[in-house]
This record gives sequence, C-alpha cells and structure tokens, in this order.
Amino acid sequence: MRKRVLVCDDEESIRLLLHETLKENYDVTEAVDGREALRLSSSEPFDLIIIDIKMPGTHGIEVIEQIRENNKNLPIIICSAYRLMEDDNVLKSADVAAFVTKPLNINTLKKKVSELIG
Amino acid sequence: MNKKILLTLRFVLILATVLVMTYSKRGLHVFAPGYYIALIYFVSNFILYFLSEDVLSKQFVSFSIFLFDVVTISLGIYFTQGVETDFYLIYFLVIFVASIGQGIGGSVPIAIVASIIYGWMIFRANPGISLLDSKFLIRIPFLFIISLVSSYWSQSARRELKEKRELEESTRKLETEVARVSAKETELREYSEKVISSVTSGVIAVRSDGTITTLNPEAERILELHREDAIGQNIKEVDRISALWQKMEHSMNSGTPMLREEVSILNKEDESIPIGTSISPITGAKENLSGCVAIFRDLSEIRALEEKLKQTERLSYLGKMASWVAHEIRNPLTAIGGFAQLLETADDKEKIKLFSSEINKGTQRINNIIDDILAFARTKRNVAYANINLKKLIESITSSLTDIKISIGGDKPPTIKGEIDSIRRLYINLINNSIEAMDENGRLEINFTQDSDYYITEIIDNGRGISKQDMKKLFTPFYTTRQRGTGLGLSIVKKIIDEHQGKIEIESNKGKGTRVRVYLPKEPKVDNTAP
Repeated sequence: MRKRVLVCDDEESIRLLLHETLKENYDVTEAVDGREALRLSSSEPFDLIIIDIKMPGTHGIEVIEQIRENNKNLPIIICSAYRLMEDDNVLKSADVAAFVTKPLNINTLKKKVSELIG
Repeated sequence: MNKKILLTLRFVLILATVLVMTYSKRGLHVFAPGYYIALIYFVSNFILYFLSEDVLSKQFVSFSIFLFDVVTISLGIYFTQGVETDFYLIYFLVIFVASIGQGIGGSVPIAIVASIIYGWMIFRANPGISLLDSKFLIRIPFLFIISLVSSYWSQSARRELKEKRELEESTRKLETEVARVSAKETELREYSEKVISSVTSGVIAVRSDGTITTLNPEAERILELHREDAIGQNIKEVDRISALWQKMEHSMNSGTPMLREEVSILNKEDESIPIGTSISPITGAKENLSGCVAIFRDLSEIRALEEKLKQTERLSYLGKMASWVAHEIRNPLTAIGGFAQLLETADDKEKIKLFSSEINKGTQRINNIIDDILAFARTKRNVAYANINLKKLIESITSSLTDIKISIGGDKPPTIKGEIDSIRRLYINLINNSIEAMDENGRLEINFTQDSDYYITEIIDNGRGISKQDMKKLFTPFYTTRQRGTGLGLSIVKKIIDEHQGKIEIESNKGKGTRVRVYLPKEPKVDNTAP
C-alpha cells in the first residue's frame, strides 16, 4: 500500500512542485493553509506531513503543536524559506523529523522522505 | 517761632528796655527797683536759653513769655516814671515780637494787656485825665493798629514761608519720586536685559525700518554678530541673514505672528544654518518703537541628529530588507530550481509546458520583488512628467479583475501630469490592497473629483477595513498584516506621491471598508534640486 503524504504550503507553485516530486512513490494530498492541514490530518491517516512555517491564518508551528496533541509519532518535515538560526528556539524545540530550507533540491527531499517512511 | 530768633528778639527787647530806662526821668541806678527789673529781664532770657524748642513752641508758654515781657516793661516804666516819655514805644516791640511768634491770636491779647496797664499808669500819673486826651486816643489805638498790622504782616510772611516750605517739600518729594522711578526703570531695564540675555534661544528685535535694537548672547552666537556693532545697524545690511529679515518683514506687514517657521541663514563661512523661529510684530508702541521680535534656535544639531536617525533607520530598513528579500526570493527560487530539475526527466509535453510555465511565474515573481525593492530604495529624483489619462490607466489595471464589481465615476476623468510607470504602480498597489481586503461580494468604487489645486482620486472598497492599531503603521516599510504581503506597497505609494508633490488620505472602518484619497497636483512644481 502506498504511503500518504500531506503537503501544506500557501504557495501554489510549491505545492505543485512537491506534488510532482513525490507523486511517483506516494499518494500526495495538498492543504492550502494550516487550518486545512489540521482538518485533513485529523480526518485522514497520513504517514508524513511536509509543512511551511509562514502561512496565512494558522502558523506552521501552531499546526505542528496541535497535530502532536493527538499523534506523537507522525513524522513531520518543515519546509521553509527561513534559515534555522542558532537562537531560533521555537523552531529548534519543534518536535519534527527534519528541517528543509528553500530553495530545496528535490532529490534531497525525495531521499529524506524515503529515509523517514520508506 | 524758632528759639534762636525768639531769644535774639527778646535780647533786643531787653536792650531797648534798659536803654529807655537809662534815659528815663529817674534813670537806671544800681540797686534801684528798675535795676532789679532789668536784671530779672536779662536772667529770664538766660533761663529761656535752657528750655527746649518744643517747650517754647507751646502756645501757652510763648504767650506767658510775652505776658511776662509786657508786665516787666510796664514795671520798668512804672519805677523809672517813664510814662510821660516815649517809653510806651517798647510795647510796640513786644506786640511786634508776639505777632511774629503767635500771629493775631497772640498779639491782640498782649496789646489788650499792655493797653490796660499803660492806661492805668497814665491815670496814676495824671489823675482826672480825660479819656479823650491824646495820650489815650493816639497811643492806645496805636498799640492795636501795630498789633493788627504786624500780625497781618507776620501771618503773610508765615504763610509765604509755609508755602515756600511746602513747595520745597513737594519739590523734594518730587525729586525723590523721580529718583525712585528712575532707579526702578533702570532696575526694570536691567532685569529685562538680564531676562533676554538668559534666554537660551536667540532673540533679536528690530524697528520697522530694520534697525536692530536688541540682540541677546545666543543670537550673537547663531547670527555671528557682535552686539556692540549690531545694535543700531540695519539688519538689511547683513545679507547672510536676509531670510530671517524677510520673515520678520512679512510678519510686520501682515501684523500677525509667525510660529515655528524654518529658515536658512548663512554663517561667515557661507555655510547654511537652519534655524527655527517664531516672530511677533511689536504693536501698540509709539511709531518709532514699533517693529518686531524674533526668537530662534539653531537647528543644525537637531538636523544632524535627524540625519543620524534617518541613517540608523535606513540601516535598520536595510537589515529588514535583506531578511525580507532572502525570504521572498527563496520561494520562487525553490519553484524555479525544482521545476527545472523536474524538466530534466519530464517527457510528457503537457508536463513540460506546465513546468516551464511555473518557471516563468517564478521568474516574474522575482522580477516584481526587485521592482518593489528598487521603487522603495531609490533616492529622490526628478520626475519625468508626461500627460496621463487617468481613466484609461485605471481601466487597464482593473480590466483583468472579474471577481469584483467595479464602478468608475465622479467628475470628468482628468488628464494628470506624472510619470506613467510610477503612477501605474501607485494605483496597482492601492487597488491590490483593496482587492485583497475584499471577499467574494467585493465592490470597488473609483471616483474622480478635484479642488483648486489637486486632482483627487477616491478608491473606496467594502473590504475588511484597517484596525486603529494598523492605521498608525500604514506607511511603515516591511509592516504588513498579510502573510504574503511585502510590507512595501504603501511605502512605495507614499514615495511616489511625495515625488509627485501630492498627498494621500486613508479613512477606514474595521469591518466596513476603506476609503483612500489620492491628491495629485494640477500644476506640479519642477524641482531641480534633486540629483
């Protein structure tokens, strides 16, 4: 059975890129903002979530925190244009499997996803 | 009466009495009664010498003295049998002295007493004499005539003396008052000068013809003038500060004060010094005192600080801009790089077309970001004015908007003067803001109006409006309420409007919509100062 990946980014191009990159090996679902990501993740089972941080409405970190309340083990990858700074405690303390910065190499991302969910 | 005068007059009186007694019928002999009377008379004056002026000036004391004199003289006449001689003339002297001392109130009673005693002595010396005898009819009335005349004379003299003293007193008081007022005026002038000198701002006052009348130390410092040379000099002769004089002249001519004006003067090195001044015309004074006074401060330091602050702000913006650019560009870069990688392996024509299109969108997005940065970061420059048909411009912007209702109305759409690319960007940014604030029932209204100086474009939307808190930061660069907003849109709008010498007003009701008014001048001034 193919693994399911939820991609959450407010930028249509980025969603499309992630979708096209991963669709060969995974079932990809798109969420346009944090609210939709929360709705989908609570109603459907996913094996991995790839999420942006800076989005309209609910912030990515808030989404992660809410998902973690019900699902402690779901692998989450943050995909953001921000660099993880030394003093960025909020991001560092976020309980995520990986932090990928934009611009990203799609092969690196594929490899990371494969490492996490096969 | 003065003690000294009294004693002197009495001394004369005593000498006259002694003299008359000596040449009387019996003459003056040692140990005769007349001798003792003369002696007592002398001694009386000696005693008076020891009495104080206050005691002597008392009415009853002086009256008693003159009564004593009359009695003593009468006794002298009696004992020397001088009643038939000219001895009675001594009475005139007593009455005369009494009138000097006490006026009519003193001399008449003395004259009465003298008349009674003298009359009695005449009777004694001439028993059975008629009252109509010349001794009575001439001598006794004369005592009263002398009394009245001398009283009148002494009172006149006294009155004159009193008036003279009063005059002297009032003159003295007047002189004291003049001295006091003069001292007060000097004190006030010194105080005013001290106050003006102590003011930490520059103070300069001129007459209406421009003659400098006041210059405090701070004014000397700022204007680089020396008080000694400048007072009395005409301000018009100092070309370096002509800008200040022009403002002062304007204030005098209009008769109204000017508050917080800023002018530039030159120092002696021909460097421009900005000064902030408030000018008040001096009115209500005499014509030669009217003029005006200017209070001013050297703004160089403040301007330098402002420049430093601007520099700091620029650096702060630069930092924010760098962070913003990095973030904004990475998203389209991700898309461009990612789709380029996907293109390498894509064999489906549709996919190739889709990926290429996404690459183009990313490129366009980066280009827009660069345009925003350049528009925001560019320094002041001359606007290349061209005539712009505002209606056509706005229609070209809104033609692609199909989701919202748009109405364009108001006055006849104007042809404005402006730089086409900048004006287009100005309206794109404002219309985009309105569109992004609206939901599916969005309605955008664009009206053209004008006043005497400006063409006005009103952009009214029924979007979610702006909160009071956000209103304060509308034009702050990189401040945005949108997750994907650049935070530069309204900063760029403001910059373009400033460059075009226009102005912008924004009114908003949270939840109800926003009304933006853009004012663009009908006749913009051509600015040649920009680089």
